[in-house]
Amino acid sequence: MIEAQGLTKRYGSKTAVDGISFTVHPGKVTGFLGPNGAGKSTTMRMIMGLDRPTHGSVTVNGRPYAQHRSPLTEVGALLEAKAVHTGRSARNHLRALAATHGIGESRVAEVIAMTGLDAVAKRRVGGFSLGMGQRLGIAAALLGDPRTLILDEPVNGLDPEGVLWVRNLVKYLASEGRTVFLSSHLMSEMALTADHLVVIGRGRIIADAPVDEVVARATRATVRVRSPQATELAGLLASPEVTVTAVSPGLLEVHGATSEAVGEVAAAGRLVLHELTPVSGSLEEAYMSLTSDAVEYHSAEVPHADTTTSQEQAR
Amino acid sequence: MSTTTSTTPALTKAGPAAASPYKVSFGHLLRAEWIKLWTVRSTVWTLSIMVVVMVGLVAAVSALGAANMGPGEGGGGGEGPAFGYAAFVPAVNMASLAVVVLGVLTITGEYTTGMIRSSAAAAPRRTPVLWSKIVVLFSTILAASVVAVALGYLVEVLILGGKDLAIDLSDGQALRVLGGCALYLATIAIFAFALGALMRHSAAALATVLGLLLVIETVMSAIPWKPLQYISPFLPATAGSKITQPDELNDMMNSMSEVGANLSAWQGYGVLVAWVVVLVALAAFLMKRRDV
Repeated sequence: MIEAQGLTKRYGSKTAVDGISFTVHPGKVTGFLGPNGAGKSTTMRMIMGLDRPTHGSVTVNGRPYAQHRSPLTEVGALLEAKAVHTGRSARNHLRALAATHGIGESRVAEVIAMTGLDAVAKRRVGGFSLGMGQRLGIAAALLGDPRTLILDEPVNGLDPEGVLWVRNLVKYLASEGRTVFLSSHLMSEMALTADHLVVIGRGRIIADAPVDEVVARATRATVRVRSPQATELAGLLASPEVTVTAVSPGLLEVHGATSEAVGEVAAAGRLVLHELTPVSGSLEEAYMSLTSDAVEYHSAEVPHADTTTSQEQAR
Repeated sequence: MSTTTSTTPALTKAGPAAASPYKVSFGHLLRAEWIKLWTVRSTVWTLSIMVVVMVGLVAAVSALGAANMGPGEGGGGGEGPAFGYAAFVPAVNMASLAVVVLGVLTITGEYTTGMIRSSAAAAPRRTPVLWSKIVVLFSTILAASVVAVALGYLVEVLILGGKDLAIDLSDGQALRVLGGCALYLATIAIFAFALGALMRHSAAALATVLGLLLVIETVMSAIPWKPLQYISPFLPATAGSKITQPDELNDMMNSMSEVGANLSAWQGYGVLVAWVVVLVALAAFLMKRRDV
C-alpha cells in the first residue's frame, strides 16, 4: 500500500510534482503513466525517500519509507537501471545490498537465477547491456522478497522474452497480495499488465481509475461504416447526439451511436452496407487524449502516411 | 548466452505481511561496506601502490644515505637516529597520495555511478552508511599502512643497520613516529573521504584534495609572507604530518617560522582530526538533507 498526500516537489522555480494524492492498493498491478517530464520518476524517488518532498507526504505500508526497520523487505524498487557501481560484478552488487539487511548468500543466488543472470553474474556491471542492467535492477528489487514493488520502466531495453517475463512476474506478485506500482511509457504494455492506472501530466494527476474506465472515459466509441450509399446513410443518422465524419468516399465514422443502431437505421432506409465495425477506444488513444494538454515536450508534426484504415486497437 | 528466466518459485516462500527476520543494523552495514570496498579494483590498486611507494622510497633514501654517509654521521646535531626517521618523510608524503585517492573514490564512486541510490534505498537513514564507510576505510588503511611501515622499517634496517643510521626502536619516540606514519595515512584518507562526500564528484574531489596536498600546502609553507605563516601550520597535511616526524625535526621547523604556532606532534595530529571531524559532520548533515 502506497499513500501519497499532497505530494509536491519543486526544483527552484520549476514544479515537477504539483500536490498529487493517490493510493496504490495491494493485490493489483497499478500502472503509472505519463509523458516524459510529467513527474513519474520524481514521484517514485519521493516514495523511496531519495528526494525530499517540498510539501506533502507519502507512506509505504503505513510509514514513511525511511522509518522501516527493514526497508528492503517492505519495498523493492527498480528506479534506474544503473544505480550500480560499474566496477563491481552483478553478484557482488547484490551481496553488498543483501548484507545491509543480513540477507544470506542463498537468496542472492536465488534472485540471480530468477532473473536469468547466472551467465553474467561474475562480470562487471559496466559492460552490461541495457537489458542486463534492467534484470539486475529487478533482481535487486526482489532481494528482500518485498511486500511492495516499485518499478520505473521495468521493460525498458528488455528482449521480448524478458518483457513477457516481467509481465507475468508482476501479475503473479500482485496475485499474492503484494502492491505493485509500475511506470511505463509503453501504453500497450500497460494495457496488458495493469489493472489500475494513475495518469500524470505536468505534475498533476489526470486520471486514477481502473484501466477499462480510463479507456471508456477518455475515448468515444466509434463505429466504422462502409457503404456505397454513404451520403444517404449519413443523412439518416444525423442527430444532435450523433456525429458522422466522412473519412473517404464510401467510408463513414460514426460517433455517438452503437453499431446496432447504425445497422437498424441502414436496414430501415434499405441501404447496402459493406462494413459495420465497432471500434473501441484503445489505451493509447485514451492516453493521448488525456495528456494532450499536459505534454511538456511536444515533438514536431511528422507528415504521415494515410492512416484511415489503421484504427487498430491496442488491446 | 542464455537469458531464460524461471517462473517464480523463489518468491512463494514468504507471503506479504510476515514479520521480517531481516533488518538494517550497524553490523550489517559494516559487512556491506566491507564487501563494497573489496569488490572494486581501485582498493587493491591504491593500497598496493601505497605499500610499494612507501617501501620503495624508504629503501631509496636509505640507499642514498648508505652511499653518502659514514657510520653515525647522519644525526641531527650528533644524535644518530635522525637520518633513519628522515627516510620516512618523503615516503609517507607520497604514500598519502595513494590513500587519499582511495578515500575519495570510496564515496564519489557511489555518486558518480548512481550506486548511492541503491545504498540510500537499502539504508534510508543514510548517515549510518557514512559512519560504516569511515570505520571500514579507516581500519583497512590503518592495517595496510602498519604493514607498509613495518616493511619500510625492515628494509631500512637491512640497508642502514650496519652504519648505525637506522631507526632504533628503543628510542622513546620511535614507535610514536612509526605508528604516527600509519595513523596519519589512515586519517588523511578520511579527510579526503569527507571532501568526497561533500563534493560528490570524483574528478572535482580528487583535484581538490591532490591540489591541496601537492600544491597549496607546499606553496603556502614556502612563501615567507607573514599572514600565510599564521595559516600554513594549521593546514591538514602540514599539521597532521607532524606525527610522522621526530621531535628534533618538528622543533627545527617550528624555529624556522617567526610566528609561533609551535605545534607538537600530537597537537598537529589533533589539528588534522579537527579538520576531519568538522568536514565529516558537514558531510553527514548535507547527506541527510540532499536529494540523491
